[in-house]
Amino acid sequence: MKYAIKQLSVFIENKAGELSDFTQVLSKNGISIKSILLADSTDFGLVRTIVDNPERAKAILEEEGFSVRFTNVFGVKIEDVVGSFDKVVTALAHENINIQYTYSFYEANIGIFIFSVEQNSFEEAIKILEKNSIEIVSASHFYA
Amino acid sequence: MIWSKEETLPRGELEKLQNARLQETVARVYGNVPFYQNKFKELGITPHDIKSIHDISKLPFTKKQDLRDNYPFGLFAVKQDAVVRIHSSSGTTGKPTVVGYTKSDMDVWNEVMARVFTMCGVNSEDTVHNAYGYGLFTGGLGVHNGAETVGATVVPSSGGFTSRQLLLMKDFGATVLTSTPSFALHLAETAQNEGYDLKNDFKLKCGIFGAEPTSEGLKEEVSRVWGIKYYEVYGLSEIIGPGVSNSCCESKDLHIFEDHFYPEIINPETGEVLQDGEKGELVITSLTKQALPIIRYRTGDITSLDRTPCRCGRTHVRMKSVMGRADDMLIVNGVNVFPSQVEHVLANIDGISLNYQIIADKKGYLDILEVMVEVTEQMPLDSIGALEKLQKDIQAALLNNLYINAKIKLVEPRSIERSMGKAVRVIDKRSI
Repeated sequence: MKYAIKQLSVFIENKAGELSDFTQVLSKNGISIKSILLADSTDFGLVRTIVDNPERAKAILEEEGFSVRFTNVFGVKIEDVVGSFDKVVTALAHENINIQYTYSFYEANIGIFIFSVEQNSFEEAIKILEKNSIEIVSASHFYA
Repeated sequence: MIWSKEETLPRGELEKLQNARLQETVARVYGNVPFYQNKFKELGITPHDIKSIHDISKLPFTKKQDLRDNYPFGLFAVKQDAVVRIHSSSGTTGKPTVVGYTKSDMDVWNEVMARVFTMCGVNSEDTVHNAYGYGLFTGGLGVHNGAETVGATVVPSSGGFTSRQLLLMKDFGATVLTSTPSFALHLAETAQNEGYDLKNDFKLKCGIFGAEPTSEGLKEEVSRVWGIKYYEVYGLSEIIGPGVSNSCCESKDLHIFEDHFYPEIINPETGEVLQDGEKGELVITSLTKQALPIIRYRTGDITSLDRTPCRCGRTHVRMKSVMGRADDMLIVNGVNVFPSQVEHVLANIDGISLNYQIIADKKGYLDILEVMVEVTEQMPLDSIGALEKLQKDIQAALLNNLYINAKIKLVEPRSIERSMGKAVRVIDKRSI
């Protein structure tokens, strides 16, 4: 599972101060957030984040009373040229892989997009991308 | 007007009747209901120890849980062929509380409800708009039969469909409204919004309200907005349904029909019988029931008794309007809910903990219920859609099992406040 990044999904209530409660726990414990995505409904939200030490972050967050789970996601290098993101999405769509959500971040001059697919098509998605010569970032790239 | 002569019996004669009927009831349960026979044996008593109504404190209590433990018909004292009606209320573990009636029980029920209507001045010239729920709940049909017994015209409208109900009340010329007090206010509010003139478009003269604890302020409000006299009816399905007691034209307190239902007030902690005027838990023994005779039933309702004469001429003891509950039962829009029932429903759903909190409040005049539930520390789901489905599933489970419509709020683990290390299960923001 070289490419499986352990993303933390954290349940938070939709009210003032909730996100900062979460980020303070991480910063106090010296955990660095590499990328973050927020999704919300009217009552609650989900924080999806990639951190440099997921196992430790999960243990600390649980201790602090957060509801946390790991979801395997993968990261793909995307050049800053027209069509590069489309190439990845189309390759997956062509093989009927459903992208659940995606989010991005930048390191110096490269962009990395994080993808979540259904967990049972994870391996297949990786194979498809490799076949299409798309560069996948190894999970260890993110960890401290 | 008084419906039957038993209502004005001199106390001495009433007591003789109670003595005889209690002895019959005790013999009946001892001979026909193993549950009671065992309880009597445990206490070392036989029916011969019960010589008068004053011996009643020797008898064992019956609790709601006993009905559940003997689900469905374990406490019935007659065979199925003698049962003509079944009613039931919601319960834990999918097991409701079941009550049954013989033909003679139905006659008693019609009789006491006829006393109720007569006490409220209702007769064959009246049209009764009955907005209590029909079905397994005893409210709708109990009130219905009593109104027919006094010869009134009954409109069996049941609950819901507020606008249509107003139209029928106006067009059919209802003179009496029977419903929960909160529904009466909801009807009034809707009528005002729809441009009705409450005092002139309707012919109501009185209402007979019950099925939920009600503050004096709320009663006055119902009375004021509709311009009607407020009567209160009390009852519970385990005893018979509505028709255990009712307020008369002279008093806000409710006469208990004690030739059929014998009341006591006890200390809910110790079980000790309290004096007239002392506040405690109401306990009722049925004196004439055949299908489901019940001995010293713990109603859970807090009230007090008053045996002083009433100006209306009835000699039957009066109880104060119920002041609260001895247990943690909530009454939401007339439906009884125990936190333990909610807990049982939640226990069967994955992804949530058993840390929950029930918040009862009012929106307008109707009760609203919110259930806060903590998600587990191992977050069950990784999408908003799945979490929203979890919310809907919890809501549907509560509706299907307990007949309550609650808003579900998912919250973080350990976020529900604890008091002295113990979670506070119920926050009731409604004022009685």
